Amino acid sequence: MLGWEFPPMINGGLGIACLGMAKALRQHVDLTIILPRTDPSFQVNEVDLVGLNHLEEREVEAVKRFEGWDTVEKIIHVPVALDPYGDAASHQLSEEEIRRAEAGRSEVDCWMESTGLNLFQGRGALYDSDVNARVVAFARAAVAIARERDFDIIHAHDWMTFLAGMEIKRQLKKPLVLHIHSLSYDRAGEEARGWVYDIERQAMYEADRVIPVSRYTGHICRDHYGVPEEKIFAVHNGAEAVEAFRSKKPFPGKLVLFLGRLTGQKGPRFFLEIAAKVLEQTRDVRFVMAGTGDKLRELIEYGAFRDVGDRLHFTGFLNRDEVNHLLSMTDVYCMPSVSEPFGLSALEAAQFEIPAVISRQSGASEVLTEARKADYWDVDLMAKHIVELISDDQLHKEAVAASRQDQENCTWERAAERILPVYQSCLPCDFGLASSPSVAHA
Amino acid sequence: MPDFCLYFQAHQPNRLKPYSFFDIGKQPFYEDDLLNAHILSKVSERCYLPANRLFLDLIEKEEVDVRLSFSLSGVLLEQLECHRPDVLESFQKLVATGKVELLCETYYHSLCFRASGEEFIRQVELQQAILKRLFGVEPSVFRHTELIYFNELAAFVEGLGFSGQLAEGVPARLQGRSSNHLYRSPNVKNMPVILRNNGLSDDVAFRFADRGWASYPLSAGNYAQWIAQAEGDVVGCFLDYETIGEHIEAEHGIFQFWNKLPAALAAQGVGMRTPSQVLTEHEVVGEYDCHEPTSWADTTKDLSAWKSNPMQREAVAKIREMEGAVKSHREEALLHQWAKMQTSDHFYYMFTGTGGDEEVHQHFSPYTSAYDAYLYFMNALSDLQLRAEERE
Repeated sequence: MLGWEFPPMINGGLGIACLGMAKALRQHVDLTIILPRTDPSFQVNEVDLVGLNHLEEREVEAVKRFEGWDTVEKIIHVPVALDPYGDAASHQLSEEEIRRAEAGRSEVDCWMESTGLNLFQGRGALYDSDVNARVVAFARAAVAIARERDFDIIHAHDWMTFLAGMEIKRQLKKPLVLHIHSLSYDRAGEEARGWVYDIERQAMYEADRVIPVSRYTGHICRDHYGVPEEKIFAVHNGAEAVEAFRSKKPFPGKLVLFLGRLTGQKGPRFFLEIAAKVLEQTRDVRFVMAGTGDKLRELIEYGAFRDVGDRLHFTGFLNRDEVNHLLSMTDVYCMPSVSEPFGLSALEAAQFEIPAVISRQSGASEVLTEARKADYWDVDLMAKHIVELISDDQLHKEAVAASRQDQENCTWERAAERILPVYQSCLPCDFGLASSPSVAHA
Repeated sequence: MPDFCLYFQAHQPNRLKPYSFFDIGKQPFYEDDLLNAHILSKVSERCYLPANRLFLDLIEKEEVDVRLSFSLSGVLLEQLECHRPDVLESFQKLVATGKVELLCETYYHSLCFRASGEEFIRQVELQQAILKRLFGVEPSVFRHTELIYFNELAAFVEGLGFSGQLAEGVPARLQGRSSNHLYRSPNVKNMPVILRNNGLSDDVAFRFADRGWASYPLSAGNYAQWIAQAEGDVVGCFLDYETIGEHIEAEHGIFQFWNKLPAALAAQGVGMRTPSQVLTEHEVVGEYDCHEPTSWADTTKDLSAWKSNPMQREAVAKIREMEGAVKSHREEALLHQWAKMQTSDHFYYMFTGTGGDEEVHQHFSPYTSAYDAYLYFMNALSDLQLRAEERE
């Protein structure tokens, strides 16, 4: 398995999903996960975690000896600085970036001159402006390490690892399974083009199987990236059980929560519009936007403009305990994402007995079958859902009860049971994957 | 040759702490007591104490007739009483000399006139009461927060019995005339306005510390000469007291400057006068017609320092809207807390303009950004709303 984020070093939901999946899959297969960085103090039973920051001497030597790219040259023509989970659509290229983009070829040569392993030392963010260099260095190292191991299937998570996945498949002729947690389509919009999009598209073309985290994302793979439907097998994420609890609000009235990065993709502006609509009908409610992001200031000022500043509160970044505390007081969870491949937070909210009002453009809306839904732009309908849930206790109770069944269907064990046949389908002979653990992963 | 009318504003707000959403409903204390006490002491040591000492010495030496005026905001006097009685005492000594006039303002250094005449009167009366109690004086000249002035306000202030008001000399309102005369709003019966001489005030309030300024370092002799050469009846030199030693550090020679200025003015034949003296000694020469509010703030000289972006406008409006709910309780602590949140500085910190003005705003702000200032204020306001509603 090829991963990028992994606990305890997490940026978003990708790391959490990979860990949950790995724990469930290890019951059935031998699992090695190659990651940019690992923390030796964090181990997962029966899973071999290989961090490029903690390679053995033998592996470092293998990386040093590595030569002979196949894929990279075809893909890397615009290695501009991108924030892979930021709002790339609004990203203006600086002169420096354009110059670097034009000099892309020679820069690749530079990266290849050294092992690039130094990029994974230290504690800097994995998504700094040199993410492209890291992606290339990761691919290079992953191929070298994979050559030293025996395995049957490559399972790669999101575009940062797809280059590695393609290269390993080409060199070692093993089937490639791509797991799609998020696409440049989600982060940067329909029109987004560039290096990330090219890697995604090329990798999906070369892959044997594509596993999106929802049917919603599967449709994007099919319609937007041109992946043949028969290669696509949507598997919903599981949600780890959390220690849910309820606590009393220190103020009267209801609480509606938005939780997530304040970027265009998550639809925070729609949340604000919804809040203003609801507040036109009742003042007995507060709205909280927890999280931070490039839209924070704009949203604060827009909230003031809409005259809701005393009912709409921004908390900034919160740690896990603070998030749980907030969830424990929340009455309605609202996720108006513009494009949300899955949306684990809606499921976590459900565990805290919070009914969700979510956009149809989300994977979570397929899982939370009873949740109230609306198109992300339909703020009137969203507001109507919220007003009903906060003003009718009986409806609120029914919504909570309905989501319990949904949660039971949403486990990583279920997810693993659906991933295994996908593995099986691209192997030459029957490994009996559902029962016998005999397949290794790079 | 004009007279020299010197007025210093001394004021410290009750800055709010980083009041978060999680404090709402739980934490009825909004102010950063440690920070406020720290800043009060710092400014006391660097400005109030040494500058008061300087002016007291000058007055007591009696070499020249030193006259000046102060407006001390009610919230500053409150802080001094609580934390720095020694500084309060040094102000009391100055006033006791009879050479120092105290002006009146709104106790909370607020912007409240337009929204509520009733609240404005309440705050003026509170200020009159604290000046009476601490200094035994009854002020007769008024200045509104940051020298805010317009026709309607002038008429209202006259109705409260004041004999004069201070204002910024705004070129657009002067229309080519000199600020160095007494004028009168078309809305008043009699009350004159004394205008701030923008150039000569800013020389000592801002440019004094600018090493790139052609006249740096400015000597008392040169400045006195400029005053003597000015046309008109009176040069209004109006500035923040904290410019002495706090905004302009001692190393620039600001204390020596003020120490030498009275003698230098006398040598030029310029007399120092308090606003009340100016009002009795000079005649009104014309009309000063000011429909929209002006102030001494920023380069725009209007209310944009406090009311130019949606955050400021919402915060100002929301605190005003609470007047009825808060007053219905007749509870002193709640009323006082609400009124303290009307202090103009809270809205000043939320300014998001650009250029030199923005720099000045940020210099005074205890927060990392205008957005933080707004969020902390609105969270605290939300809690205050709950307290007001609870008791309704």
